Amino acid sequence: MTTPLLETRGVWQRFGGLVANSDVSISVGRGEIVGLIGPNGAGKSTLFNLIAGVLPPTQGTIIFDGEDVTALPAAERCQRGIGRTFQVVKSFETMTVIDNVIVGALVRTTVMRDARRRAYEVLEFCGLGPRADVLASDLVPSEKRRLEVARALATEPKLLLLDEVLTGLTPVEAKTGVELVRKVRDSGVTVLMVEHVMEIVMPLVDRAIVLDLGKVLVEGKPADVVRDPKVITAYLGDRHAVGA
Amino acid sequence: MDTAFAERRRRDLIVASVLAAIAATVPLFVKDVYVQNIMVLTLMWGALSQSWNILSGYCGQISLGHALYFGIGAYTTALLFTKFGVLPWFGMLGGGVISALIAMALGYPCFRLRGHYFVIATIVIAEIGLLLFHNWDWAGAAMGIEIPARGDSWLKFQFPRSKLPYFYFALVLACVAWFVTWWLEDSKWGYWWRAVKDNPEAAESLGVDVFNSKMGAAAVSAFLVAVGGSFYAQFVYFIDPESVMGFQFSLLMALPAVLGGIGTLWGPMLGAVILIPITELTRSYVGGSGRGVDLIVYGGLIIAISLVRPQGLIGLFSFKQLARLKQLARLFAPKRKEVAR
Repeated sequence: MTTPLLETRGVWQRFGGLVANSDVSISVGRGEIVGLIGPNGAGKSTLFNLIAGVLPPTQGTIIFDGEDVTALPAAERCQRGIGRTFQVVKSFETMTVIDNVIVGALVRTTVMRDARRRAYEVLEFCGLGPRADVLASDLVPSEKRRLEVARALATEPKLLLLDEVLTGLTPVEAKTGVELVRKVRDSGVTVLMVEHVMEIVMPLVDRAIVLDLGKVLVEGKPADVVRDPKVITAYLGDRHAVGA
Repeated sequence: MDTAFAERRRRDLIVASVLAAIAATVPLFVKDVYVQNIMVLTLMWGALSQSWNILSGYCGQISLGHALYFGIGAYTTALLFTKFGVLPWFGMLGGGVISALIAMALGYPCFRLRGHYFVIATIVIAEIGLLLFHNWDWAGAAMGIEIPARGDSWLKFQFPRSKLPYFYFALVLACVAWFVTWWLEDSKWGYWWRAVKDNPEAAESLGVDVFNSKMGAAAVSAFLVAVGGSFYAQFVYFIDPESVMGFQFSLLMALPAVLGGIGTLWGPMLGAVILIPITELTRSYVGGSGRGVDLIVYGGLIIAISLVRPQGLIGLFSFKQLARLKQLARLFAPKRKEVAR
């Protein structure tokens, strides 16, 4: 196997006395879809923020594409090829859908015509083409999630971080969401996704990493992970693990 | 695909050119000096508000301290001319550059503040500037500076006998401020600014350099406002701290944009065309004892706007808005029938 696209080495994050991530070392290979799962408060979102560069880790290093990016701010990591979505959608509400996506496209070009063309392509790809000229504030929730993905894709990332893009959608919406994620991977983008809805995530991901209490609990093939007693304990408590 | 967009941009440019051409011919018919004076002020405040709009409207960093840059522009020109004989044209550029630099120096600490805290900082800093000029003897302190006027001259940009040159300069200034906005609107900066205004965190994740976006907007905005301040000094021949750096100037820059539509291309000019004549006329008709009535008019307009149309008047002119109103009407139509039954 070649060098992984993303690697965290012994990453710690403390908020005062609270340890959100302790000694987390994970790696994501090129072209993979990796699911990051775990019960509430496991430290998934914190790890995401550390990878995206929202805050620097208390300790540890983050290697992206062979380079140490630990000290880089979010905007520069985006330029290096890390795109992300937010769990609580953060659309540019007073701007149209297409303008939202153009902001992302401007990372790769400063020629407005090219940025606009690229943004239209990405919108089509994400199935938002017909909504291009609508204000972002007028979108329904599932469309806003798509816009988040479109905006991040417009930055032409090598790694896309998806923070609960499938949560809170209707089954039909979630299904088209899954298709979109597959399409994204097929276009050559590596995907690391945080997700709660197990029955949707497990068939989708190539590999799952389970976080619990800030630590990596288990990682492996989705089918093995769901049967792992430690994972069942983390989610459901000891009684069920014994039963398994 | 993007033809509709390009067309809208081109239409904006054509409309602006036509309006500017019409405005340029107005003094041929309107010879009344008082009215000409109002036209000069309207164009000047339109230009200033348009410049304010770049930082506060597009980039969302509401400044109520732009009087500082206005004053610096006015003082730079006046001081350079009276103390060193430097022509106002250079003073204008110099004032603009100094203001832009100061805006960035102040932005460095202040852009870490958000929302109301930023607004408060801008007010306080402008007040400090006012106090400094009040006590700066070399710059005339509270006595101010008088610019000696010796006959009409383009070189010295002074025209004691005519308003017309001022009118045309103010028109050019308004056009420049409008054009700069128009040009920046469809540039990387324009998109970055709006992204920063709407959601800085998301902007950051998309590769936007949030801090430098604000710095850029502040510099452009301060430069243009300072040029306006220089112009004002040449227009009134006499400046003192209160008359170019008072808090009311900061408000006067914000109000037309707020009235017309903050963060829009046409809002500031529209607002100025409505607001400035109204206030000038009330001020003169109500007379000296009624000082303050113009401020009541401001207050009333702002309250009315924030109650009825917080997005500004410019929205009334869009076709989309009309379509939406029709849609609403259609939605409500059957309901009314039900009630009637």
